[in-house]
Amino acid sequence: MPADATAIAAHAQILQSDARALTDCAERLRTIGARLEADGFAPRWLREAVDAHLAACATAAADLTAAATCLRRYADRARH
Amino acid sequence: MSVAKDGPPGRTADEPAGGASATPSGRTGAAGASLREAARELVGIAVAIRQAGVHATAALTDGALLTALPHAPAAALPAHRALLRALTDGAGLGFAPDGGRLGTLAARLGSLAGQESLAVRVLATSLRLRIAAVATDHPELARDPLIARLVEAAAADRDLESVRALRSLFKDRGAVRALSLIAPILGEVLALRALLDENPLNDRTAWLIATGEGRATADPITGISNRAVAALDTGAGAARRTDLTAAESARLGSEASLLGFLRNISLIGTTGRVLVQSVEGPDGVVRHVVQAPGMRAGRPDHDSPQDLLGAFSSTVLDSNPYSRALAAAVRDYGLPPGAEVALVGHSAGGAAIMNLAQDAEFCARHTVTHAVAVGAPVDFKRPADPRTWVASVTNQHDIVPTLDGQGAGACVDPHPGWYVVDYSDATHLFPLCHGIERYLANLADDLPEARDEMEARLAAYRGPVVRSQAYRLFDHAPRPDGFPFLSVPAHAVDGPAGPVELPIRCLDGGALTSYFAVDAAAAARLLHGSGFGPAAGVAGRALVTVHTAWNRHTSAGGYRELHVGIAVPDPWGPPSARPRPLLGPLLGPLLGPDLLRRADRRCSGSFLAGSVVDAAAVHAVGARLWGGEPWLAPLEFGLISGSVRVAAGAPGNRLLTLHGRLGPGLPAPALDLVGYAPGAAGETLRSCVRSRGPGRLHPLPRLRLAVGPGSAHPLAHRLRELGLHGARPLLCLSAGTRQMLQYAAVPLPAP
Repeated sequence: MPADATAIAAHAQILQSDARALTDCAERLRTIGARLEADGFAPRWLREAVDAHLAACATAAADLTAAATCLRRYADRARH
Repeated sequence: MSVAKDGPPGRTADEPAGGASATPSGRTGAAGASLREAARELVGIAVAIRQAGVHATAALTDGALLTALPHAPAAALPAHRALLRALTDGAGLGFAPDGGRLGTLAARLGSLAGQESLAVRVLATSLRLRIAAVATDHPELARDPLIARLVEAAAADRDLESVRALRSLFKDRGAVRALSLIAPILGEVLALRALLDENPLNDRTAWLIATGEGRATADPITGISNRAVAALDTGAGAARRTDLTAAESARLGSEASLLGFLRNISLIGTTGRVLVQSVEGPDGVVRHVVQAPGMRAGRPDHDSPQDLLGAFSSTVLDSNPYSRALAAAVRDYGLPPGAEVALVGHSAGGAAIMNLAQDAEFCARHTVTHAVAVGAPVDFKRPADPRTWVASVTNQHDIVPTLDGQGAGACVDPHPGWYVVDYSDATHLFPLCHGIERYLANLADDLPEARDEMEARLAAYRGPVVRSQAYRLFDHAPRPDGFPFLSVPAHAVDGPAGPVELPIRCLDGGALTSYFAVDAAAAARLLHGSGFGPAAGVAGRALVTVHTAWNRHTSAGGYRELHVGIAVPDPWGPPSARPRPLLGPLLGPLLGPDLLRRADRRCSGSFLAGSVVDAAAVHAVGARLWGGEPWLAPLEFGLISGSVRVAAGAPGNRLLTLHGRLGPGLPAPALDLVGYAPGAAGETLRSCVRSRGPGRLHPLPRLRLAVGPGSAHPLAHRLRELGLHGARPLLCLSAGTRQMLQYAAVPLPAP
């Protein structure tokens, strides 16, 4: 089933890319929070919210990476 | 007064107005800008996170994963498990299935169960930053504990607390102040609630509002589809020319300018009308301006597209009856191909003119150079011609411009290049601040820079107004007046005051026909030599009709008329065909079945003993209409709430009066009338009056006819001869509103 394996591998590649995007998102969130804090414009609730988002992004990136790894393995097995 | 100058990229505005109430705009400050920028960045992050959920959902639901399962069963299960975990991990993406049928269904079920995704939570943070940004412009928002409570409750997804907070706000401040207070952040608060609540139907509209990707597609509270509601506003749109009143015409500016156009919109008001004007610009070129007011008060759906439904559909649809009616008005106005047109609209009119501006066919026929929308929800409108200069003027306390989902807190500019004046004025309360008069006053007095810029942009439209035409707009093309009853061939006959069209067509009038029993011998004396006789009657008495009418709107102008006639049977009928009592206890014994026939099939009628009209133009053609020689005299006709006040002759010299109450009435149609009278050449003339409309038959009228005691008028003499002074009618037929056709009398051989 090479066609299916190729499709699965493509999904794995996209999810890996998304995991990197989530990491980027976390970095952007951190930058935004820090900028507002530094400028003194950050609402008092913002830090807590950003921290929660940062943690979620990190977890989501890990979940996506794990899913991508599993998909890659699945595609390899299906190919052989 | 404060005004927006930056905010979303591309927004433009004026400096704060001078004066004691002017304060620097927060949106021009660093805090507001920084918070909006952060909110915009969070939108990008939320979109990226959501996309990861879409991709993971696509992988999980891809058939390839299942078809490959037999080839690698040991690897399939971990892959599925990892995908499921990624899509449902509350500490990661949250509940994130999205995209495709299965993903959308799962997302809705998740929403129902109160599950949220990380993307939604990030977007909620973006909305809260937008609210914080607006609060920097409106310190009253930050200071107000009830507003803070509302925002906190919405952000924390505490539905009951949100409702309580809103109720407290309205109870404490009153509806007007509460709405005015919350207006700048209304879109954000509603979107926040919709994002986080358990209603899956409003999730998409919340996403659109929060990301600025498009206009709200549904009510953010209930999730009811906006398009479904807007679809109730049906119609091809139509426009009919209408005259402004003399007072309105006098107040129309003779020199065109932006403020002048807005004054015109204020002048014609929300009356279902629009105005089209032609202006000779400084370069001598004549250009044209369409001026469209907002919603007409009254029922939510009436025959005008300027109703509540029309306002709604103007906002959420790209084309609607209002914009199509505007196009019809411009078509009727008759612009040369390629003519330059500026569109100016307020409120629903602003949305409608933007719909017109984005109509590719309209823009192919005309060059829409400018579109100015004031107090209108137009953020997601796009002119078909990219060269069209668009200006949007909105007061941040005005809720109406936020109805498309974007308000003062918008962090994404959906239309770079527009000239946007988004200002706030704490002294103005909604709905007061939505009025065209308030916008006009703000532009005239408080926003000089914006006004001057817009006037400069519209410089080609400054100059003398060379033509003005008002139009009344309709959802559906209205039936012609009086159709089909009054749609009859007509011809003009010359009169001293100009031609009069016959038949006279009366669109709206009232009439009263009173039937009196008089001495048969007296009636016979008046009929002597006419060829008619004996008179129709009852119980040995002759029947006399006194017919009075006020024809309020006719093809010959408004006029009143009065006719006294002696009821006569078919002059050519055999004696056996003379009146028979076939109509039951009321009409039958008196008048016979012939009375109920249409005038063109009726043989019996009234031999006219005298006629009076009060309009010279009609009097001049009276002989053609009725025969004989009608008299010209003042007439009064009042038929209100069952009370009759008819008078002929000038006050102090009355010919007759007919006063009293009609008493109880039975429904009956307005009846046709047939009159006979001698012609000038000795022939007999037969005249017909066709009537249409509801009437009432009054079997016990309490009227009394009085002949003027000192009147020497010939008709007064005849009335006395007939013994009608002090008489009461046997019965009356009244019609408060009727249409009427008065045909010219036709000559017949003497019977």
